[in-house]
Amino acid sequence: MTLLEAVPQATTTAVALPTLLLSGMVWVPALAAIGLLFFPTRTDAHRERIRSFAIGASALVLGLAVVMWYGFRDQSGSFAYEETRPWLPGAGASYHLGVDGISMALLLLSGFLFFFAVLASSRVREQTKEYFVLLLILETGVNGVFASLDYLLFFLFWQLQSVPMFLLIARFGGARRLRAAWKFLAVDLAGSALLLLAILILYFKAPTRTFDMVTLHDATLPVALATLIAWLSFIAFAVRLPVFPFHTWFIDAQAEAPAPVAMILAGLVVKLGGYGIIRVDVGEFQDAFHKIVGAVIVIAVVTVLWSAVAAFAQDNLRRLLGYVVMSHMGLVLLGAAAAVPLAINGAVLLMIADGLSAALLMLLAAATIERANTSSIRAMGGMAGRMSRSTMLWVLAALAAAGFPGLAGFVGQLLVVLGAYPGHRLATPLALLGVLMVAGVMIWSIQRIFFGPAAEHLSRVRDLGTLELANGVGLLSLIVLLGVLPAILMDSVNFSVLTMLSRGGG
Amino acid sequence: MILTLLAAAPKGPLDTWSPTLLALFALLLPLIALLIILAFTVDSRRLSAAISVIFTLAAVVCALLVVAIEIAHPIHLERNATFLQLLTGQTGSASEFLLQWGVLADPLAAVMLIAVTLTSLLVQVYALAFIRREDGPVRFFSVLLFATFAMTGVTLSTSYFEMLLFFGLVTLSTYLMVGYWWQREEAAAAAARAFVLSLAGDLALLAGIAYIFFRFGELNFQTLATQYTGGKVSANGLFIMSILVFLGAAAKSAQFPLHAWLPGSAQAPAPAAALLHSAGAALCGVYLLARAYALFHASPRALALLAIAGGLTAVLGVLWALFQENLKRAIAYTTMSELGLMVLALGIGAYGASIFEVFAHAWPKALLFLAAGVIIRELRTERLAEMGGLWRRMPLTGWVMLIAVAAGAGIPPFSTFWSKDAMLSKALALRSPIAIILITAVTFLGAMALVRIFRLAFTGETARRRRFEPERIRDAGGRIATAMVILAIPCTAAGIRGIRGRTDPIAFVTFPGVTVSNSHFVAAGIIAAAAVLGAGIAWVIYARPRPVVALEPVRRAMAEGLFVERAYHFGAAGLLMPASRAAGWIEQRVDATVDLVADSVAFAGQPRRWLPDVRPRQLVIGLLAGMVVLATVTMMLAGRVIGKVG
Repeated sequence: MTLLEAVPQATTTAVALPTLLLSGMVWVPALAAIGLLFFPTRTDAHRERIRSFAIGASALVLGLAVVMWYGFRDQSGSFAYEETRPWLPGAGASYHLGVDGISMALLLLSGFLFFFAVLASSRVREQTKEYFVLLLILETGVNGVFASLDYLLFFLFWQLQSVPMFLLIARFGGARRLRAAWKFLAVDLAGSALLLLAILILYFKAPTRTFDMVTLHDATLPVALATLIAWLSFIAFAVRLPVFPFHTWFIDAQAEAPAPVAMILAGLVVKLGGYGIIRVDVGEFQDAFHKIVGAVIVIAVVTVLWSAVAAFAQDNLRRLLGYVVMSHMGLVLLGAAAAVPLAINGAVLLMIADGLSAALLMLLAAATIERANTSSIRAMGGMAGRMSRSTMLWVLAALAAAGFPGLAGFVGQLLVVLGAYPGHRLATPLALLGVLMVAGVMIWSIQRIFFGPAAEHLSRVRDLGTLELANGVGLLSLIVLLGVLPAILMDSVNFSVLTMLSRGGG
Repeated sequence: MILTLLAAAPKGPLDTWSPTLLALFALLLPLIALLIILAFTVDSRRLSAAISVIFTLAAVVCALLVVAIEIAHPIHLERNATFLQLLTGQTGSASEFLLQWGVLADPLAAVMLIAVTLTSLLVQVYALAFIRREDGPVRFFSVLLFATFAMTGVTLSTSYFEMLLFFGLVTLSTYLMVGYWWQREEAAAAAARAFVLSLAGDLALLAGIAYIFFRFGELNFQTLATQYTGGKVSANGLFIMSILVFLGAAAKSAQFPLHAWLPGSAQAPAPAAALLHSAGAALCGVYLLARAYALFHASPRALALLAIAGGLTAVLGVLWALFQENLKRAIAYTTMSELGLMVLALGIGAYGASIFEVFAHAWPKALLFLAAGVIIRELRTERLAEMGGLWRRMPLTGWVMLIAVAAGAGIPPFSTFWSKDAMLSKALALRSPIAIILITAVTFLGAMALVRIFRLAFTGETARRRRFEPERIRDAGGRIATAMVILAIPCTAAGIRGIRGRTDPIAFVTFPGVTVSNSHFVAAGIIAAAAVLGAGIAWVIYARPRPVVALEPVRRAMAEGLFVERAYHFGAAGLLMPASRAAGWIEQRVDATVDLVADSVAFAGQPRRWLPDVRPRQLVIGLLAGMVVLATVTMMLAGRVIGKVG
């Protein structure tokens, strides 16, 4: 039985639901952002209304995502909710949206994380309107990348994220925000330029003059050219991932961005890099990617180990968390590069798990930093006495980040390791060493922040408020749910991964 | 006896009760209790404690029924459910990737199950009175329930995957128990160390699982048991698998040099330490080795590895125990030597004897820690040098401690005498002089170490300290006394032969291909002589401890456990931190170039002045304009090409 035969063919007909659902997920946030522009912002009540509106918009998107995911489950690997409209026909571009299991899972993550991020944004007192407008535009950008099946569209949505992200960091961030924002913009534009270059090369060299991913998949390119495109797009995505040595923007942005934006940055924006590698490099340029896989594996392992080692000396709590996320993304890269079904399944699950746990950690870190009035770990200590809820959540979040059984990351790591091991018998144990170090640094952080005798100035801090607790418990329950029942997500992901791999290289 | 009869009844109700179902109950009851407590009764100490004890009691009943059924019909039963099922097609042909979890019932699991649940129950009864209000009893019972659940899960695991999953939970429960008094710097550090070392073992096990899955495409213990010898994997491959699995077990069961967390685990509250050392985290490594014994049995080198590592651990542990100044650390090191003996027994093929040792050792060790908890609470010190003369003031604690010491030391007819006798019988049958000498020496020294503790704490005069009045010491009573007295019963009776001929009471735990060696009178004589002699010598030596100046460096080195813990600390602090700082330095250099680019972009635009003044409307217009420009450029480019083509 060949691989293709093993993939169950779709038994149901195409989904009868209006195909506007996907467009809704992409454009509702943008429309809401435009709508927000007309809100007055003079009084506190006005600001509260703006926040409620933003919460409503993100909840609507989340609802759409859940409905779509529910309707999606009986599909098997093919693109669903496809929507094709003519758009720039002269250039060969079209408005082509569609999701498979992989992007559906990530869209669901996006819906949840943006919802929690908007909920967690209650502390933004000044320029509330600008803040939510930018956040919602960012959501359009993120969802658009997951949904597009057209390279031009993909690129435009990709580009759409940089400006809101830049402004969010530059205007709402910490003390050194401008520096971090410019660094983000410069690196991101450089990465995007490479992506654009790759797309244009593909566009001009392919036999058919089109930007459509599905059509271009069947195009045959000279080997050297395909390898070049694979390299270019890999570097563009890897900068976002981030991999060593292009990661300093991420650590800075992570430390300076306001907490909800940091949630989105660590939970979604870097995941787009992983998604890009899986979708474009593994999915579309499989054979070419196979040629560069040795280098990619080395990069992945170096990223895992480097960030794990670098995390130890960090005194700034949020920089430390940045390295932890980066280390996981290295593991995701390892899984994607292994290019076997188990490992890619694991990589997708790991991205989702890490998105959730990173968001939870960012949330708790922001709360802790606010209480302690410093982001220096050395200045904290013994906070468990006053912050028992926070401690409990932090321990569980740290365990989730450490890939603990019963929590989402465990199955992801297990699949990556089981899948990557046969092909890469040295790289996989080395990556496990990185996992151990990340777990060590997280456990040590618990010890330094929460345990031990309480410092004098920390003896009167408040515990988490109701809203913070609700956010935390919401994220945590998703983590536990995925850890105990990974099958609810993995079935459709698995079919898509199999379909993707069995279609072969373009 | 009664239970045996019950199970043997031909048409009794027990026949319809599947042992796996009962095992599943035993597994889920602590978890359900934990969830009830967390969800509903967090605020009520009494209710939480009551729920905890009642559910654990129910789990004990289930465990007893499983034991009864397994004694009557020693069979292996499994009940599995799908955890995750994926299609894979790595080599062209489609295959299915299946992760299962479930419960099993077999003699080995039954023995462990009763040890875990019963110790947990007694420890909880003890904790009812021991954990005071300000220590957070609800948190303590939650942690105990979680530990019980995790350990029961390990006991009932059907596959390597499930074992790994529950190993992780055991790691967490150890962390929570050791770090229970988190305000203490040492406790927090010991907890972190326990977590990291345990996790290192778990990851080694994960690597082993990846290798096993890669070779066999299967993770179920029972299915794999017959495949190791099938020639699918070379001898070297089997040896590597064994090493990786052994590393996972060694980190949990404190085999040298991965034992560094065990002495620190004495930081846990006394009842938690009792569970940890008797049938909890420290035992699950040995249990994994027993469960995966087919793998080791298929590779002679792996058995040799077990024997060597176990022997080394046993000797070092007992030597270090002799030099400890801290009561709980001294007991902890004796656990290490017993764990070494169990692994050694597995290595020389004494499978039944090793499991017997697990079973026989659990009770005295739990009792020792519980008694130590009473002593420490009354004396408000953990230092042996500050104790003494407690025999008159705490007669009940003294008696149970004496029984525990005798049982742990292997003095006939107490529990571990019989298991050590079984081990030595096997060694004698093998005619292996090293094994014989090791077991005898460890018995001798172990008896010395335990009697030393008793001698220092209970005889002589109570040392006087500032703000401490020996007259106010009171003996244990109530629930604490009940738990200890109940535990003293299995300490006395757990090993006694004669239930069925001359074989062990747990002789129904067998491994195919390994013969159960009957007791050897020579072996019994040697063990009895070694234990009694060791006890007598310790009684004389430690009557009035005088520091011998010449031995001072030796004493310090031994008390520090040959500085292994410090070596780990140095490895972490001395290597990782400089490496981490170096990484940070390199990153700054990398960063500088990126900054240069960013600064030049910023300089070119000079936008910092207007940035804070942009209004959202302008922003959106700008964004849309940008998109339009980008689209136009693309279209123009595209149009040029289309023009060329057309």
